[in-house]
Parts: sequence; C-alpha cells; structure tokens
Amino acid sequence: MKKRNVRRWLALFGAAVMAVSLLGGCGSSSSTDDKGNKSSQEQGALSDKEIIEKAAKDGKIGNWGLGNEYEVLALLGKYGLPTDYLSQDFTMDGFDDNSVELASAMTYNELGLVKNDYDGGYGYGDSVKYIDMNDEGVAMMEDNIFCTKKFAKENPQTVAAFLYASLKGWEDAVKDPKAAADIVFKAGSSVSPDHQKYMADEVAKLVTTDVNGKQVSDIGNMDDDAMQQTLDIAKKYVTLDDKSAQKKLQSTGLDDIRDKQYLEAAKASDGSFKPEKKSVSIQLKWLPQAQFMGYYVAAAKGYYDEVGLKVKIVPGGGDIAETTAVNNGTVDFGVTWETNLASADAGGMDLLEVAQIYQRSGLVLVYKPENFEK
Amino acid sequence: MEERMRKYKRRKSILRRLSESPKAQKVETVMLPVAFGILVVALWQGKILHRLFHTDTFVLPVPTKIFGIMGGITDKVIGNTIDTLLVAGIGLLLGSIIGYLVAVIASFLPNMGKGGLTIVGAFASIPIAALAPVMNNWTKDVSTEASFRSMISKILVVLLIAAANMGLNAYRGLTELKPYALDLMATYAASKRRIFVKLQLPNSLPYVFIALKVSVPASIMTAIVSEYFAEYITGIGRQIRENIVLAQYSIAWVYITVACMIGIVSYALLMVIQSLVLKRYR
Amino acid sequence: MKSTLQWLARQTWFQVLFWTLVLIGAWEAGATLVEMTKRMPANIMPHLYQILQAAFSGQEVSGGMTATQVVLKASAATLGRAFLGFLLGALAGYMLAFLMKLSGVIEKMIFPYLMLIQLIPVLGLAPIILAITGNINSSRLVIAAILSFYPVATNTLAGFKSVEKDKYDLMATYAAKKRNMFLKVLIPQSIPYFFTGLKVAAPMAVTASILVDTLQGDGGLGCILSQALKHAMSIYVFWLIVFFSAFVGIFSSILIHWVELLVTPGVVVNLLRKLSIGKEAGAYGRKNEKVQKKKKYPSSVV
Repeated sequence: MKKRNVRRWLALFGAAVMAVSLLGGCGSSSSTDDKGNKSSQEQGALSDKEIIEKAAKDGKIGNWGLGNEYEVLALLGKYGLPTDYLSQDFTMDGFDDNSVELASAMTYNELGLVKNDYDGGYGYGDSVKYIDMNDEGVAMMEDNIFCTKKFAKENPQTVAAFLYASLKGWEDAVKDPKAAADIVFKAGSSVSPDHQKYMADEVAKLVTTDVNGKQVSDIGNMDDDAMQQTLDIAKKYVTLDDKSAQKKLQSTGLDDIRDKQYLEAAKASDGSFKPEKKSVSIQLKWLPQAQFMGYYVAAAKGYYDEVGLKVKIVPGGGDIAETTAVNNGTVDFGVTWETNLASADAGGMDLLEVAQIYQRSGLVLVYKPENFEK
Repeated sequence: MEERMRKYKRRKSILRRLSESPKAQKVETVMLPVAFGILVVALWQGKILHRLFHTDTFVLPVPTKIFGIMGGITDKVIGNTIDTLLVAGIGLLLGSIIGYLVAVIASFLPNMGKGGLTIVGAFASIPIAALAPVMNNWTKDVSTEASFRSMISKILVVLLIAAANMGLNAYRGLTELKPYALDLMATYAASKRRIFVKLQLPNSLPYVFIALKVSVPASIMTAIVSEYFAEYITGIGRQIRENIVLAQYSIAWVYITVACMIGIVSYALLMVIQSLVLKRYR
Repeated sequence: MKSTLQWLARQTWFQVLFWTLVLIGAWEAGATLVEMTKRMPANIMPHLYQILQAAFSGQEVSGGMTATQVVLKASAATLGRAFLGFLLGALAGYMLAFLMKLSGVIEKMIFPYLMLIQLIPVLGLAPIILAITGNINSSRLVIAAILSFYPVATNTLAGFKSVEKDKYDLMATYAAKKRNMFLKVLIPQSIPYFFTGLKVAAPMAVTASILVDTLQGDGGLGCILSQALKHAMSIYVFWLIVFFSAFVGIFSSILIHWVELLVTPGVVVNLLRKLSIGKEAGAYGRKNEKVQKKKKYPSSVV
C-alpha cells in the first residue's frame, strides 16, 4: 500500500513537472493530423501528451499484459511516467464503464468493436478518439512469418516457395479485402461476418502502410529500422526472470532473429521452385479470421499448389501454440510477433523470422474525449 | 498365468517376512515414496527422462536449473504465492463455512433441504473455465481498485466450489446417524439443540474432513485456474501463463514447483489437524 | 391440499424443480437490475429468455453457422476429447489401483504422488505435454486423462481395501485361488467405488478439456468461449457456452450414475451365474441392497 502511495506521489510530481514544462511552450508533440483523430487543435481538448499524463496520473491506462504491454510501457517511459498500467480483461467492458479511460485496442479488432454497433460491438461510432503507437514512435512489429533456423537451412526452396505463394495471397487480399474476408469466412471463421469485413479493411492498412504512414509496395519487407526499434523496446521493457535468458536477450541483434535471403529468393523468383519438403503447415497466432487472410486467399486461389506445396493452415487460439509448436516441429511455419520470437530465442528456442507481414503496429490507446476535457 | 502367480507369491512372501516387524514397516512407508521421488529426480536431472519423453531441456528444464532460478527471484515468487494462497485460503474458509451452514439448514428442513443440496452439489460440476469469466463480469462494481475486485471474483469462484463440496458431505454427516441414535436421544427427551450439539455435530466431523480432503487441493487448483481469467495480473497461475506465452518455460516450472509444494504442505497440514481434532472427539 | 403439498415436498424431483425455479427467479431479478443500471447489460447478465432466443435464432453468427450450431460443433470437438481422455484415464486409474493392490511396495511408492498429480496445474502441463506428444489434440486428450486418472485410482484402491477380513477368510476356507479371489470378491467390491471415482472424474475431464481449449485453441468450446467473451461474435454465444458447459458438467456425473445402475445388476447376474462357489459369495459384499435383503447376511458393508 505504501509503495503505491509513493508511486502515486511520484506520478503526481512527474505530472506537475510536465505541466510546468508545457507552460514553457513545448506542446508541439502532436502535429500529424491526417485522420482527424488528433483533437489537440480543438478548443477545450487536451493534447495527446496531456491525455497520457492525466490517464497515467489517475492510473486509468489499460493493457492486457501477456506480452502485449511493451508498447504501452515504452510510451509511458517516453514521457517519463511510471510504467504502471491497469490490466485490462479481454473485453472492452472496462472502457465502456470508464474503469479504464485510456484502453488498449487493436485497430482491426477491439477498436472496431468499440466503434461499430453490429453484434458484439459497443456502438460508440466516431465519438471515440485514439492515440496511435506508430505516431508516438513506440511501434513494435506484429504478425510475421517464421520457422526454425534448422528448417530454413535444410529447406531453403520450401521456405522461398511458401513465402512466394503467401505474399501473392496477401497482395490479392489487400487489393480486395472484402473478397478476402469472404474467403476467410468460408474457410471457417470465428468472428461475425460484419466484424470480419471491418477487420479485413484494417488489416490491409497495416500490411500496406509503414510506421511513418508511407505506402509500402513490397509486402513482407523486413524494414531494418522498424525491426530494430521493436528489438530496442523489447530489450528495455521485457524482463525475463531467467537471468541467462535476460542476458541473451540483451545481446540479441537483428541478424540473430531474421534472415532476408529467403524473402529475396522469393521476390527474385519466377514462381518455379523445387521444394525439399512438399507438405508443410503454418500455425496461426489465433483462430481463423481476417487477421490471417493472406494465407487463406493463397490457399483458396491455389497459389500454394502452383509452387508445388501442400499447405495445411493450423488455427491457433491460445497463448502457447505458435512458438512452441514451431520449435518442436509440430508445424513448419508460424505467425507471431517479433517480441515473442526474440524472447523465445533468448529462452533457448531456435526461431528465425523470414518475412514481416504487418508493417506497422496495430495497437492504439482509445479514449472517450469527454473524459479528457480541460 | 499360473506360473506368474507362483512367482508373484514368492516375492510377496519375502516382502511379508520383511514387513513383519512394525519398525521396518514404518521405515518402508517413508522410504519407498522418497526413494521413488529420488529415482525420478535423478532420471530427470540425468536427462534420461527427456530421452524417454522425446523432449528437450528447454521445455523440461533440469531440477538444478529450476531451483537455481527460484533462488534468484525469491521475492517475486513469494509475492505471487501469497496472492494465490490468500484467494485459495479465504475462498476455502468462507466456502466451507457457508457450505456447512447450508447443510445444517438443510438438515433442519428435511423436506426441501435435500433437493436444495442437489442444486448446490451441481455447482461443483460447473467447469471453472466457464465460472471464472462470469464472476469477473459480476464483480466489476465491487471496487474501483482492479486488484481488489479481481481478488474478490477469484475468491467467489473458490468459495462456490468449496461450499458445494462441504455442503454435500456435511449434510451426509449430519443426517446419516448411527441407527437408533436418534431414538436413544428421544428417550432422553433431548432438545433439538442438544441432539445437534451432542449427536449430529460430532457425527459430521469426519465428513467435514472428507470434504476438506477434496476441497483443499481443489481450491488451490481453482485459485490457480481462475487467475488465468482474472483481470489483475498476479498469482502463481498467472505467472505460469505469462511465462509460457513468452516461452520462458524454466520460470513457468519454478511456479509449477511452488504450486506443487503448496499442495503438498497444505494437504499435510490438513492431515495433522484432522488427527488432532478427531482424536479429541474420541 | 396440505397433504398433497407435503407429498410433493418429499419428492426429489419437486425439490429440485423448486430450487431451480428459485435460482431462475434470482437470476431474473439480477438481470432486471443489471438491465436498469448498465449500458451493455448483455455482457454482464442477460435475461434467460434472451439467451434462449439466441439459441433458437437462425441468425448466422460465425462461419455460416447459427449460435447453436457454433456451440454444438465446438462441443463435439471438446467433449469428444474429454470423453476419450476420460476413458483412458479411468482405465489407467483402475489398472494402477489394481497394481497397488497387488503390491504393497508399489502402493507405498506411488500413492503419495497420486496426490501430486492432482495438484500440478493443468496449464502448466499443457505446453509440456504438447511438446512431448507433438500434437495439440493428443495433448488435450492426455491432460483430460491425467485429471480423471487420480480420482479413479484413489477411489478404486479404497474399494479394494474395503474388503473385510471375513471375506478373505471365507475365500480361504473355499481354498480359492488368487485369481478367483480377485475375480469374485475384490473386483466386484471395487466396482461401486470405481463408479464414485468416475463421478468425480467426469466433470473434471470436461473442465480440463475446456480449459486446454482456451489455451491451445483449435475450435473447441473453451476457444469459442474466449472468442465470444472478446466480442468477436455475439456475446450470447458466451452465455450459451457457460450454460451448456455447466449442463454438461452436471449431466456427466448423472450419466455415470445411470451407467452404474445399468451395469450393476448385470454384474450381479453374471457373477451369480459364473461363481463356482455359489450364489452367496457372489452377492456377498455387493452394495446392491435388494440382493442383500434376499440373502440372510446382514452384511456390514458400508
């Protein structure tokens, strides 16, 4: 209890310092305003920085934990705030009843549920605003494609062929998200059709826009800057209790966790491969939904068959599956986040990222403007 | 078959000779499980277990590594252990008391009581995985402090399981009296209260312990499982989950070890209390 | 009128019905309260009729299936695995109890560890078993088996031990062989205890299977439960699963009870026919009251 009080006072003090420095005239942190989400220019509204500070002071910033929290921690660290957050359960009910005022949400999932009023949605419409991790410079890289180093070394053609076909699937999917959503839906979706369509649109944005908001044409590109930023944040905020693992994480470099040669081979190829292993499987991070539409499109349109692969898509749905399943050889490929991969490798696994599908972070902190008025 | 039987008989006779002296028997009772434990740990440490199960030291770290890590993060482990123990302990205590009270009320209402208990017993069969998120939803208004309301919700789940267990067993203890005991009490013209204190209460004690033997491990298990679904991130169960997500199996194993130790210690404690209490009543 | 009420009050079905109605009333009162105070009442406590409506509505919630279809498809996967795991666990539990009865050494060695098995958190086991089996489905099966193994083993062992010394003596006077001793006394005696273990194990196997679903996905009940809880589909799917799994948990032990009733007389008849010693020994020590009443032994079986 005492500790909490001390923290609270520290937070208050920090906020006071911030307020003073704000008066000094450095309220220029929010300038990019292309989507109309930043309301700092509006009269009576707080800037993003002030919102974060207020929410941190009140202890009303929420996140799910379970490895999803590092961007939020980095954001708090960026503003010199104590890195405490409220654990959010997996619903947005806490946001709904104001127990969490600045709530974590993925653009393609929770944000849609908060805004939309279809079945399962909360129907807030555009009355809610959000703070984007990409704009704040604390974005971390999410959905990628990975396999074990051993598998990649032994089956270079298979990896390249798989990437070639998967990327082709993703290209089609981002061109026509509606059609992709339909394909996923038919393949056995776990979400309602309306939400699926919303998700497909949002995922397409994540795949084709980078952290700086620029258009990305080569899907799957492993951007060094973005990946390095992710790794730096991970090194700073991931704490592994196993000391040797922690040490290994600290000394991890980009070249330890990703290899570009397979992606380059796939991009340079004309589409004919000699795969060493013809029958492969990919473990998704979650249940079938538009988050993974590229693979479903590739399978439905026969792109995998064209490169001589038989691909089985294994839905996830748990917290455990992907890294463990790939590492022990249950499946050949997997979809995970860079941080998970880096900490798994630090813990002793042997994983390698071969393509980065999502080019920007999907995490935002959503809030109701009425909670943050001057 | 016959031959095997003969062989088996011979072995048994040697053992019987050995076990004739009570001293040797006592030693045996302690030594055998210990020896078995040492054997397993040795196989584990020697990585023979890994070869048997086709696994690696990554998913199944050797004991020395587990204990080595445990020594390094003692504070964190103790903090999480206390949180889990609080949930399991309070839930078990309140649940058992409530369960016993329900059983007492039911025993005074012979007509409607039994049916009510059937319903109470049914609660014990509801999967915890379904119960925990519901309790989370229902305790949202309890407090603005997430750590507190999340603890209440976990306690409620444990409470329900413990109460169901205790209710069913205590009811049996209160009603399944020795034949003619009630008639005997009637000849003494004993009051209802006297019958309860002198006959039903002592009679129910062994049943209380039967219930506890099930609900002590069950409440620890329930506490751990409801932590998986809880809003606030704390406790042994949650640490296991968090570390497995990050593929930190050795840390997860530290908490698994702690969970096992809690289970064993609490069960041993229960046995001691049982022998003390039951001795007193006899 | 009064006597009818009294008669009714003595009927178990009426009592259960009465208390169920009380529970429903309490739920509805809560739901009404929640409806008046909350913005999204369905997330916290919907009316029961709303849940029923969702169950029977033809609206597609996911993958071209209605809510009920989603739940049923998921439960087929989950319950199938739970059932298989349960069977395996029960079988292994019985075998181990048998071994422990055969050998005191094995019993002393293993019995304390039986306790441990129950105390190892399922989730802790899940990834390790996944790593060992290399297959999500079989890891779930093994976990359900481990959880149902413990109550069956301990209860069956208690059953073996409940055989009184008289019976050993009686069998000794018949100069019965060890094999006959097991076939005709020990095994029949252990059956009711075995079923007690099964009754404890069945809901556990269901719980385990659902829990592992939530951790490893692949379309089971637990998986859809957490998905619906996250609002990826109608929240009523969540409530349907809560009620359905509660029903399955409760029903599983009732089902075992029915199986027990079905099996028990059969066992008696078979034994009576098969026993070379005579009908007495066969019925002797059985829990079946009817048989005991016919015999003149005022058996002291608990």
